Amino acid sequence: MLRAWSEGEPASTEALFELVYPDLRRIAGALFRGERPENLLQPTCVVNELFLKLLRQRSLRFEDREHFYSLCARLMRRVLVDHARSEGRQKRDSGVLVPLHDDLLWTDVSPADAIDLDRVLEELERIDPRKCRMLELRFFLGFTADETAELLHISKASVDRDMRFVRAWLIDRLQPG
Amino acid sequence: MTQDADNWDALQSLFHMAEENPAADLDALLREACADPDLRNRARLLILAARETETKESTPSSARKEPDPRMRRIGPYSIVRKLGSGGIGTVYLVERIAGGVVQRAALKVLSLHAAGPFFADRFAREQHILASLDHPNITRMLDAGLSENGEPYLVMEYVDGVHLDTFCDDQSLGVPARLNLFLQVCDAVAYAHRNLVVHLDLKPSNILVHQAEGTVKLLDFGTSKLIQPDSLLTTTVMATPAYASPEQLRNEAVTTACDVYALGAILFELLSGRRPNQDSSVAIMIERSIREMPPEPITGAVTPEAAAHRGVTQTRLLSLLRGDLATIVAKCLTPRPKDRYASVDALITDVQRYMEGRPIMARPQTTTYRLTKFVRRNRKAVVIGVFAVLALIVTSSYALWRQEQAVREGRRAEQMQTFMYRLFKLANSNYMGKPAATVQDFLQLGVRVLPDFIKDPADLRSAQLSLAESMFDNDDFIHAQYVLAKVISSAKAAGDVGSEAEAEGFAGYVAYNLGQGDMGESLTAHALSLARKRGVTPSERVWIEVYYVENRADRGIRSDADGNLLKSAVAEARKENLPERETAFAIGKLADYLSQRGDLDEAQGMAEEAYGIYGREPYAVCDQADTAVLLANIRYNRADYAGSLPLYRQGYEGFKACAGPENLNTLSLQVLMARDMLKLGQAQAVVPMLETALPTWRKTFHDNTDIVAPLVFLARAYIAVGDFTQAETAIQEALKVQQGKVLPNSTRVAVFELLWAQALVGQHRMADALVHAETADKEYADIAVMTPAEKVYAAQAHQLAIDLRSSGGGIAPKK
Repeated sequence: MLRAWSEGEPASTEALFELVYPDLRRIAGALFRGERPENLLQPTCVVNELFLKLLRQRSLRFEDREHFYSLCARLMRRVLVDHARSEGRQKRDSGVLVPLHDDLLWTDVSPADAIDLDRVLEELERIDPRKCRMLELRFFLGFTADETAELLHISKASVDRDMRFVRAWLIDRLQPG
Repeated sequence: MTQDADNWDALQSLFHMAEENPAADLDALLREACADPDLRNRARLLILAARETETKESTPSSARKEPDPRMRRIGPYSIVRKLGSGGIGTVYLVERIAGGVVQRAALKVLSLHAAGPFFADRFAREQHILASLDHPNITRMLDAGLSENGEPYLVMEYVDGVHLDTFCDDQSLGVPARLNLFLQVCDAVAYAHRNLVVHLDLKPSNILVHQAEGTVKLLDFGTSKLIQPDSLLTTTVMATPAYASPEQLRNEAVTTACDVYALGAILFELLSGRRPNQDSSVAIMIERSIREMPPEPITGAVTPEAAAHRGVTQTRLLSLLRGDLATIVAKCLTPRPKDRYASVDALITDVQRYMEGRPIMARPQTTTYRLTKFVRRNRKAVVIGVFAVLALIVTSSYALWRQEQAVREGRRAEQMQTFMYRLFKLANSNYMGKPAATVQDFLQLGVRVLPDFIKDPADLRSAQLSLAESMFDNDDFIHAQYVLAKVISSAKAAGDVGSEAEAEGFAGYVAYNLGQGDMGESLTAHALSLARKRGVTPSERVWIEVYYVENRADRGIRSDADGNLLKSAVAEARKENLPERETAFAIGKLADYLSQRGDLDEAQGMAEEAYGIYGREPYAVCDQADTAVLLANIRYNRADYAGSLPLYRQGYEGFKACAGPENLNTLSLQVLMARDMLKLGQAQAVVPMLETALPTWRKTFHDNTDIVAPLVFLARAYIAVGDFTQAETAIQEALKVQQGKVLPNSTRVAVFELLWAQALVGQHRMADALVHAETADKEYADIAVMTPAEKVYAAQAHQLAIDLRSSGGGIAPKK
């Protein structure tokens, strides 16, 4: 099915965002509305929407899976941040819960909300875009270390190593002050 | 922080260096590695942040706070404790006092998004269906309502049990016990499907096992019906991704096929110890579902720990799962709903068939599978093997067709295919002008309406092959031939070489059974030529080669070329890593060939290998019996009687189970045991064994010369233990049965005359003994061709006659 996309005209990332984003916001809104905190926004929804949209729109083209999933992760990030922003900072306590992979439980450590996280991630993006991609994949899409390594064509050991560093850096940057 | 950006690489180096030296003094380490105090300080902060989170993580993160601690009552129910929570709500153990009795129940509060605005209406509509679900393995729905906070809830029977997977592991249940529990689960799901209820969230944690009773209880049946149909959560969020079917992950329409998929995932886990694609993230699982990627093979999931929980070694568990079980699981987990089992009933049937050692309906990559198994199930080789040995003793002309009939008896109508099930209605509806009264009518009806059910030509051919198999099993060779001819021409037109070869090979076998030897030979020969082409799978080719040789052997042809064909079949089976059972089948045939050629050393090695493979299979009792007999014959021929006796005994037990205690092969194996026991000087034990067996022989083979075999050995045993009158009675019975049916001057008569003479000597009736010894001697003298054993008997008869004559009829001859 992925190869079906290779037919037709390439589309820009921005066009893709515009195509999928409204639906994702709607889903996110529905999920968060007056719900108990255990109702998480699942990356499932984003990946699903994106996949399905792409299937319907034959006019899209993907160089590779890396591109596709990086886009998914960024979309997921943006949905979360925009949602948090629209809720307003006063509702900080309710926060936005993101399903976290076991070894990414560090958001419990720091009370940063999605907006703070987004700000720090933008900084990371400027310094080291590749590590930012890696982090988004693991954090927002729930990719395992193995899957991240495979997608980015590196070893699992170097994913783990980079993630340990990035994580320490993020925790430091998210600390108040 | 531009400072970090400038020193990014250095910062990382320092960080990783500290990571690698956790015991070293951090400040000293940093001072030595870095001259810049600002950078040192940054690195220090990061390292400390990492170390701090590490220690925090090692303590398990506390569970999220209870969602609603204030809620102590819901409707008329008081909460005892929380049982769990999931995507669609939270479950509590609750109590209610009704009629002075405390009733316990499980109450599930549905989250609003799952319930949706029209929950009450939907519940009213569905309630009668859910209430009507009355099955011992399904928890009953008791009540539903809205809480004080306006949250909808469902009340279900409370079951005090353990999750299915936990139960199996705690009890270290083996594969058969796990399959039995799984069948209970399937039964409940099939029942619900018949009542138009799908589950859509089947998983081990929704299946409890009542520990004392060992019965299974399915939770949450019917919940799916009450979830708002257009909810975003009906699919992706509601189902647990690991057990959700690809179409659920794709947000597509859900059907009973979703439950079939989930059952496959559960079976995968029960057998192997973990879920399919357990290490995949949800995103990758969705990708797999959208790309319709085949499921992970179950054999890749097995670990030594999982094997230990099943009471076996890893190697053994792997060999258990390889083959049929892997095929069944894969058929459930296939990405397209239409490729899965059409119903849970069909899945149940296949699991049962596997447990009974019969061929399963699901096919792996190759389409010859069922036919292959059918042929092996027919156990023709053993029929020949057993009788070849018997023939050496008493006769040279047993009617083969009778034995084949006996083998098939009791198997009739077993071969009804799933498709047939759907025909019952039609069969009673005068579709053919009259209701179908016999199995044959029924099958013919099947052939006629098959194209209405199956549109895909390849599928149709495959179904027609199955029908032909059923017809064959019901002795309707003519119609089987007709259907196969259709398959052959359709396959030829479509260029489907695999099906064409398969159908031709089978048609060749049918032709042999119709007495059309030439046609049979040309069909199998053509199948063989097709077998070398592209499009024919290794499994198909191996089968066709073996079968070609078998059919030639039936016609009395066994050449070196046949042997080479068998050898290349075995080599291919090994090289292509065919399922062990199929490889063992080819190896067994080669062993049989070699033993008949007299290459006993090589034959024994092969037979032992096949025997070893079947020995590792859990439900291969029948195949085990086959190879045990094959190996026993070889050992016997090498005069290793102590080695062959236990194998004949195993063969006997196996045949008793597979073919029935009154089957001629089963009974014959007892005779072969007797033969070994006599060689080993255990005549005392032979007497009661054959005496017990004889009434069955007399009943089943009344007035039939087959009964001569046990009588020969019984007579020998009587003589050996000194019971000469009984020996004489047995001999007389044998001769009476043979009278008029056997040529007078044959070894079968001569051997009894000799035995009779020996029995009379024992009774000191020397004059009578001389008469029979002379008859035996004369008859043996007229026989031109004899086996080595018969030559020994002939010599004995000759010597006995001489001794008796020289003693003048009064003195006992010297032994």
